[in-house]
Amino acid sequence: MPDSPYLPERLTEGPSLVLVGTDYRHAPLEIRERVAFGKDDTSDALVHLLARPEIGEACLLSTCNRTEVYVRPCDEQQALRSVVEEIFEARAPQVESQGRLYVKWHGEVASHLLSVASGLESMVLGEPEILGQIHQSAAAAESVGATGDVLKRLLRAAFNAGRRARAETGITTGAVSFGYSAVELARNIFSNLERTKVLLVGAGDIARQVARNLLERGAKNLTVTNRSLERAESFAAEVGNVQVLPFDSRVEALREADLVVVSTAAEEPVLTREQMRRGMARRKPRALLLVDLSVPRNIEPQAGTLDNVFLHDIDSLDHLIQRNLKRRREAVPQVEEIIEEELNHFRKAYQGRKAEPLVAQLQRQGEAIRAQEVEAALARFPEDTHEHLHRLTRALVRKLLHHPSTRLRREQQEESQLALVRELFKLDPEE
Amino acid sequence: MVGLRFLSEEVNPPVQSFLAAATVLLPLAYLLLVVVYGALFFSRHPRAERWAPPLLLGTLALHLAYLVGLGFKWHQLPAATVPQALTVVAFATAVVYALVERLGKDRSTGVWLVALIFLFQLLSSLLDRSDPPVLDLFQSPLFVIHICLALLGYAAFVIAGAYGFLFLRLYRELKSGRFRLFYGRLPPLEVLDRMTSGALMVGFVALTGAVACGLGWAMKIGYQGWMTDTKILLTIATWLLYAAALLLRRLRHWQGRQTAWVSLAGLVAILVSMITSNFLAQGLHNF
Repeated sequence: MPDSPYLPERLTEGPSLVLVGTDYRHAPLEIRERVAFGKDDTSDALVHLLARPEIGEACLLSTCNRTEVYVRPCDEQQALRSVVEEIFEARAPQVESQGRLYVKWHGEVASHLLSVASGLESMVLGEPEILGQIHQSAAAAESVGATGDVLKRLLRAAFNAGRRARAETGITTGAVSFGYSAVELARNIFSNLERTKVLLVGAGDIARQVARNLLERGAKNLTVTNRSLERAESFAAEVGNVQVLPFDSRVEALREADLVVVSTAAEEPVLTREQMRRGMARRKPRALLLVDLSVPRNIEPQAGTLDNVFLHDIDSLDHLIQRNLKRRREAVPQVEEIIEEELNHFRKAYQGRKAEPLVAQLQRQGEAIRAQEVEAALARFPEDTHEHLHRLTRALVRKLLHHPSTRLRREQQEESQLALVRELFKLDPEE
Repeated sequence: MVGLRFLSEEVNPPVQSFLAAATVLLPLAYLLLVVVYGALFFSRHPRAERWAPPLLLGTLALHLAYLVGLGFKWHQLPAATVPQALTVVAFATAVVYALVERLGKDRSTGVWLVALIFLFQLLSSLLDRSDPPVLDLFQSPLFVIHICLALLGYAAFVIAGAYGFLFLRLYRELKSGRFRLFYGRLPPLEVLDRMTSGALMVGFVALTGAVACGLGWAMKIGYQGWMTDTKILLTIATWLLYAAALLLRRLRHWQGRQTAWVSLAGLVAILVSMITSNFLAQGLHNF
């Protein structure tokens, strides 16, 4: 591959970093699945990469929507070439020439990873699982010793940004799928999902999705009913923690249910207004949420006019999803601010590292002078005071050097400032 | 008592200055709380999340000092005028809200409660600041209990009214499928219903106690004019309204929506009773 297309456009401040990746925006599923890495594959790939001298540190992030390799290179161009060959072209030979890859350099790498962790790069904006996937990638890299000081700091910054984005902004607010929106509606009506009695009418894929969402969020009392009892039983066995009810008992079950989710392929309503009215008359005075996910609708729309009955069909759920997506989009500027703050912390931490050898040299020199002077003076003091003398002088040196060391580590230092410190303390620049 | 009067006369100028400053500061502090809780409700801003609790506590402390100052200045319960009653109701509502917030760990309803408290305090600060009558009846323990229970009841009804309003707004959005301002920003309907009926119950018990103490005290002094006392008649009407609502809730399974409407109607009745009896009518409660 030619060197030129991926030359860094600008060298932003921060450590030397390279990112090579592909995602849902750049590659179709058939390519993404070829370059997807499982847990064991990830470790093997990292071990192979680290065997190359041009790669100092590496981390591989692979999800259904992206495969990205983050590298701290020892030789930037060579490292880039190795990653493309080892990770991508070995599995999908045409991937590079088809323009399916993207490459980022230095500061842009850091910024990209923090955006990914915050959910800004996800197919569904604010999708929450990505942070867990980055955690897994970091653990895999750590287990084979692929991450060093720079990537560890970068990953820590990404976790912080991801956590803060979720806690401090609305980037993950609200349901953005039909399955979860039924759960979200229930949470706005009932105080405790655990005690909410759920009746699922229909045992298809949609019911399965809703049931899993409910169980994941704490619902304990689920009942399924279907025209084919056999199908309902198989549904209950597959999903688990679900009771089965004969289809003819569905109206009777309204007496106890709090949330009814209907998703059948019936052409006629399976719950009419009249059935609902009778069911409501026999209930204790509490709300009933009806979610109709069928097309054509399986609950008579007039049922929604009954007092304390909340009826929602896929149009109203879509309205809810669009509203939630809008709120997530509105949170993007806030998330970007968080990313910028965390990037600044990362840059500062990196700048502090730049001064680390000088601080160590300063402390070594201080200790050497102390030891030399104490050794010369020890003969003049009684032997039982020698230990005290050492302790006292060590404390003295530590205190004297504490402030300059902290300042050097904390603040971004120009090369000229480091040179001045060397000159002031007569430190050898070659050491 | 003589000693107390002597002491209060000595420190009166600083107390006077503090009360004058607090009259202006309190509405401003509540307005600031409205802004902070508003930011919390609309954008869940983390800074608003951090600032809201200490600001609320600080404002409550200032308000408490103001009420103590008023009591110290006049040597009686600071409830002898409409402005004084309004500020006590505002304080009691704020205390109850602070407790609800602390126990429920939920600040999403704060802006609506604090907005009402701000209005009460603003009215109190803007209304006539003439000296309250120093009455012997304020020295009677039974009368003081009567006043305290009535004001506690009013505070509970204010809270019930606010939660009832929020219940109705969320109910409407959930029913219509048009998810706007309230959906996703408030506690669930069930919780709002519990808060409304809980506050109604507390208010009803307090008002019942207030009416009983008032009757006991009126009998003690041989007061005959209660049939023509607007305040008493309106309070009894309000009491009946709440009693009917609570009874129907229990017997006829009245659900959240009806209770919420009653809480709003009761709040209006209380405001009307407070204004008419103090500004438009004559009677024992016109002080």
